[in-house]
Amino acid sequence: MVKLTWRNLWRRKRRTMITAMTVAGGLYFSIAFTATGDYAYTNMINASATMGLGHITVEADGYNASPSVNKRVTDSKKVRDLALSISAVYQASIRVTGQAMFASAAKSVGGVFIGIDPSQETAKTNIFLRSLIDGALFNTANGRDVIIGSGMASKLQLKLGRKLVYTTTDIHGEMVSEVARVSGIFNTGVSEVDSTIVILPVDRVRNLIAYEPDEATMISVFIHDQRKANDVASTLKTKLSDMPSEILAWHETQPDMAGMISMDRRMNYMSQFLVGILISAGILNTMLMSVMERKREFGIMLAIGMSPWRLFTLVLFESFWLGLVGLILGVIFTAPTYYYMHNVGIDLSSFMGEGYDIAGVLLDPVMKYRLYKESVISIMSAVLGLTTLAGLYPGFRAGRMSPVENLKVI
Amino acid sequence: MNKTASPYSIVSLSTVSKIYKQGKIEVKALDRVTLKIKKGEFSAISGPSGSGKTTLLNLVGALDTPTSGSVTIEGIDLSELTKTELSILRRNRIGFVFQAYNLIPVLTAFENAEFVLALQGIPEAQRRRRVMGVLHDVGLSGMEHRKPDELSGGQQQRVAIARAIVPEPAIVLADEPTANIDSGTADSLLDLMQLLNKEKQITFLFSTHDNRVMERAKRLITMRDGIVSADEEP
Repeated sequence: MVKLTWRNLWRRKRRTMITAMTVAGGLYFSIAFTATGDYAYTNMINASATMGLGHITVEADGYNASPSVNKRVTDSKKVRDLALSISAVYQASIRVTGQAMFASAAKSVGGVFIGIDPSQETAKTNIFLRSLIDGALFNTANGRDVIIGSGMASKLQLKLGRKLVYTTTDIHGEMVSEVARVSGIFNTGVSEVDSTIVILPVDRVRNLIAYEPDEATMISVFIHDQRKANDVASTLKTKLSDMPSEILAWHETQPDMAGMISMDRRMNYMSQFLVGILISAGILNTMLMSVMERKREFGIMLAIGMSPWRLFTLVLFESFWLGLVGLILGVIFTAPTYYYMHNVGIDLSSFMGEGYDIAGVLLDPVMKYRLYKESVISIMSAVLGLTTLAGLYPGFRAGRMSPVENLKVI
Repeated sequence: MNKTASPYSIVSLSTVSKIYKQGKIEVKALDRVTLKIKKGEFSAISGPSGSGKTTLLNLVGALDTPTSGSVTIEGIDLSELTKTELSILRRNRIGFVFQAYNLIPVLTAFENAEFVLALQGIPEAQRRRRVMGVLHDVGLSGMEHRKPDELSGGQQQRVAIARAIVPEPAIVLADEPTANIDSGTADSLLDLMQLLNKEKQITFLFSTHDNRVMERAKRLITMRDGIVSADEEP
């Protein structure tokens, strides 16, 4: 059966190759869309995670819906240790955040502070450290240093070493102020972020707003694979079941971005589905022609004892082969493009301009490919599934043929 | 399955009629035909075009069902069989040789002859042994790997004969097997089938216009307007 169906495929080489090429084209298109999406979404999610919240955020109940300095995690070190005990987690950072007024001798502006412990932060988990254009990260969690964005530095006319006063409210509702010295300036490229975010030493902030030494606004958890955010969040929930905290995955803390990704992904699937339908129609046409051309042969096969079911599977098998040949051709044609796009990509910065962002998340101006194993499996299965399905009707027609009628065909 | 027919009759037709509908017109292709084919016969059905030869052959070959009457093969009433059971019966008990374009073009002579055995699920080694033997019997040794388009018309018919006899069927039905081939080839094919009939006791039933076939047949059934007008053993 395998040999017969394979040879049948090559009876009309040109037609088979044309149909296989359409499958290959569909695969190329599908991989281009999926790989661009997989890369862009992962990039956005990871970039967003490094802007403060992590892939998973552990925070006090109700903080996400209505942030307040009074809503705080009381046992932050324990939470961090528990998070780090999960193998999928590569970092967990304790953070204290809130709103404040920042003033220099020249001006004052509103913004958001993020209190961090420098021993828990790296460029990988913190976009602000990664984007430092001047100075360096402070060394201690209790110092008087501060890192500000380039936008704020410009507004407040601040340079490295200059003083900055920040004023906020503590847990008692009292206005409290602190003086800091600019030790670093970052530039993420997102103007909204660069003009509002200020990085402070966490212990200094705790003292200022009257937090206990182990209290924090949140613990930002970073995982190796963003797709496992729900699983890790669920594991953390189990581990922290005795603590009154809220554990949220990135799509819950960043609903705008999650919605945008979800919509984009659906549109992507829709266009791939339409391409799949067009390819299937082409295969159906090819297989139907092939069946109609072989009426007498099928009549003979039925006459000498092939069952209608077996004839049906024979046609279905031919359709499967056609899909497989198309798939192999598609992989061959796509591989060089994939290699280039995965390693080099296309720099779109001249079209996008500086600091192109969606929902405050900086987009990588270099369009690249990345394919997850699941995406590869689903694309391959979809292509093979659709091409095999396209053989159903021709197979059904072949199986329903009357041997007597078909033997009359010369 | 009903097993009531005579053990000596491989095929038995009892008052078989076949009516085709062509639009609103009914065409009686066979009219109450009663016939028995015994094991080892070398019979031919002759008659003018439209006399019902092919219809009769199709009914005997379990390719078609009668409008009325019954057809039994080795005692099995075909009307009681499903489509799949009919396929199995054809595969195991009936051999076919058609007029032309008989073979599967993408398979070699060996593979064409092997095809039915493969459908029967016979192990490869056994298939090889049997097919090689039969190809030798039909004079095609050394041509096993040739595809149909690399064989002459006569050689193709020999492959078809090999395919028909290799499963050791109860009967081989041959529909105009000598049409479209030259007389020398036709004679050698008939010699072959006569030899197989004589030496291996294979039952042959031909549908033919060809005088050479009729002359060699041990029994000649003549059809006219859907009825058996003569049944003689010359």
